[in-house]
Amino acid sequence: MEKDKISINQFALMYLLLIAGGKFLKLPSMLAADVGHDSWLTLCFSFLWDAICLTFLLWAIRINKDSQLDISAILNNTVSKAVAKIILIIFFVMFVVRNNILLASCYKMFAVTFDVSTNWIVYIIPVVALSVLTLKLGFNSVARASQLLFGIIFICVIVLIASPLSQVDFGYVLPIGEAGWGKIVSTSFLRSFWFTDYVFIYLLLDNVKVKKHVFSPVLTAFAIGAFVTIAMNAMFVALYGDLAPQFDLAMSKIGVHFVSKSSNGRWDWLTLSIWLISVFIKIVVFFICSYKCLEKIFEFNVNKLNIWAIGAITALFMLPIFLPIEIALSTVVAYGLIPFAIVQYALPIAMPFLTKAAQAKLNLGNTLTDSIKSAKRFARKAKENASV
Amino acid sequence: MKENMLTKFLQALRDDEDLRVRNIDCGIKLTVVSMDTMSDDNKVSSYVMQPLAYINDAASINDVRVKIMTGAVAEKVTSMQQAMEVYSNGHTIVFDEQGNAISVDTRTSLARSIAEPPTSMVLRGPREGFIEDVKVNLTLLRKRLKTQDFKYENLTVGKYTNTAVAVCYIDGIADKSVVDDIVQKISAIKTDGILDSTYLAPYLDVEKTFLFRRVGVTEKPDIAVAKMLEGRVAIIVDGSPMVLTMPYLFMEDIQSPGDYYENSTMTALSRILRLISVIASLLLPSLYVCLQEYNYQIIPLRFLITVMNASEAIPFSPLSEMLLVLIIFDILREANLRMPSAVGISLSLVGAIVLGDAAVKAGLLGAPAVMIGALSGIGLFTLPDNTLVMSLLRLVLTFIGGTMGLFGVTIAMMGIIFYLASLQINKTPFLAPFAPLVPEDLKDGIAQKQIASMNKRPRSVPNSNHTRRG
Repeated sequence: MEKDKISINQFALMYLLLIAGGKFLKLPSMLAADVGHDSWLTLCFSFLWDAICLTFLLWAIRINKDSQLDISAILNNTVSKAVAKIILIIFFVMFVVRNNILLASCYKMFAVTFDVSTNWIVYIIPVVALSVLTLKLGFNSVARASQLLFGIIFICVIVLIASPLSQVDFGYVLPIGEAGWGKIVSTSFLRSFWFTDYVFIYLLLDNVKVKKHVFSPVLTAFAIGAFVTIAMNAMFVALYGDLAPQFDLAMSKIGVHFVSKSSNGRWDWLTLSIWLISVFIKIVVFFICSYKCLEKIFEFNVNKLNIWAIGAITALFMLPIFLPIEIALSTVVAYGLIPFAIVQYALPIAMPFLTKAAQAKLNLGNTLTDSIKSAKRFARKAKENASV
Repeated sequence: MKENMLTKFLQALRDDEDLRVRNIDCGIKLTVVSMDTMSDDNKVSSYVMQPLAYINDAASINDVRVKIMTGAVAEKVTSMQQAMEVYSNGHTIVFDEQGNAISVDTRTSLARSIAEPPTSMVLRGPREGFIEDVKVNLTLLRKRLKTQDFKYENLTVGKYTNTAVAVCYIDGIADKSVVDDIVQKISAIKTDGILDSTYLAPYLDVEKTFLFRRVGVTEKPDIAVAKMLEGRVAIIVDGSPMVLTMPYLFMEDIQSPGDYYENSTMTALSRILRLISVIASLLLPSLYVCLQEYNYQIIPLRFLITVMNASEAIPFSPLSEMLLVLIIFDILREANLRMPSAVGISLSLVGAIVLGDAAVKAGLLGAPAVMIGALSGIGLFTLPDNTLVMSLLRLVLTFIGGTMGLFGVTIAMMGIIFYLASLQINKTPFLAPFAPLVPEDLKDGIAQKQIASMNKRPRSVPNSNHTRRG
């Protein structure tokens, strides 16, 4: 088994965890504030854009199967080195900002839900330690751990979502489209920052081991993730109606219904803690991606860096966490929406064509495929002869 | 060079009190050399001296080797180094005047009898265990593998101990690259001596994980053979009843030697119990501490009242109290291991009943903390190969739980899982078949299927033939 490569199934499971990992924190209340009970429709549109871009990106992975070009090789050979660096800088900023917003939301989750006010430094040190450890261990360890943890995390998510089912009146999500279709669709773009979790695969194009099926496992994982997210959002809005925008952390509010009496103990906190693993996996993945961006921008090897240096740089990445989350988000919407949209939506659609163009330029396309095929054929024949 | 081999040999061993030299004439003049302590007198007499005494027309030393020697193993000795090596192992060497030599196997067989190993007792299944003799251990394997495909490579390790090491595998099942890699690693060892197979393990695990052991150990030949039939390699070291197996998966520690001799449903239940007890042992103390310190709301009210009543007068914080209980338990375990068995039982009683009860009655420790510490300590023994590592991790997690709460425990557990998931040796991921997921190998995962349905060898372990019975 190749240690540094991840299989397409691992990628699919990780992607599913990443979808579940960030969208149950602040997003539902923000969407409820924007479009009221139609927030689940906004999610449908957001996931539709995601599905289209994801399909193109998977197509690019399939094209890249044999040549295994990385993102900078593709961009350098197609859109020029300068543009490639700009795109990588946008990626880097996006990963850092997303990570900080996730970290701030998690901090709030612990403070508000679990009633534990941890010192910022005490909060950040373990996350930095985990991130540095993972960077040293390699991306493969996250992929494998995701396979191991997926079952229990997803059970917890399902249990948390299913527990208030008996108390939900889905009539509250009607009538459909009350906020206006134009607003619903535009909100899906305005809140695009929370979506397109597939972006991490850009930085791992050369690390994915593709065998037969590329589309079916990833698209199935995406469909499950999208369905669970939409269901959770609809349930949140149906449960809290007009009060939904006031509850910052949706998952913690949904978890309240997990227990019937407070004297039974808050077991939902344990399930929430397990679900939070998916958020931390997302943080770690985005952290690795931000380092990969730096590697490609400044052309160095992160594994050669001293572990303390990585720790110090990582702590620097997390400095924006000290900003209030609302200010960070409004800044992102004000300045980052368009540049981020380029790498979130435009680039994936262009990726298959860019990959083909890069292969053609490097003379890797069919020639390489053919040579690999002929080498495999030769090896198979040699094996058959040996066995005879 | 050859003319001088006898002279050189005798010169090298001139101060050796063990050296026995006898000259004999059987048509050609021969010098018989053996070692007093390592050679068996009866074997020297009957395999070498007696045949030579009745002959007086031998033409050459090769003639002696082919026609006269009655020992089962009589080989040509071609170099001084080989002569020293076989002599050290107890072989008798016969030199002619020209310095040509042959060696006859006259090693003494000082070994205990085969018995049930104390670390791998089973209710059902074979009770034979390996002993400290490499030859007997090879025989125990050969007894179960009556095939020409059973191969082993003999190696010698240790400048002073010259320990015999046998790398055993089944040709056609084991991945040859893994075998070669192991042989290469053992051949490259430069050390004074190898006293036990566990000395070899760090040389085989070159990535040097500082926590988990990645080389399997078994004392039972049936287990070693079962592993070889899956494509693993067994490494026998002379002087050690512990046979190493490679590659090793974390899952093997959850599997017990008796699992394959029981009903598969019962085995599945036992494995689930083992897994639960390991997870509980690792997490119970830390969860207890972090729930007491930070998130007591998770505990149901009635239970919380009981815990609070039991621990309200305790002079320590929950963290210090739990750490104290865990450290006392570890001290008792360590002392118990080093005591003679008769005293050990008394020590367990004193530790568990008198010490625990007295501490609770004196109000120094709370009964819930003692109970959780004891439960966690017992649960760790279901993972016999990694008990100590788990005990250490339990202490660390408890400390993190007490200082950072659920957040810290979650992050620490993720770190441990990421670390375990990254481990890989001989192309085998340590957490396989779960991470990475190998669906075919789940037949022998937590829920074990009937042996009859396991018609494929595990894919997690590299092997050159995936189909069993073929």
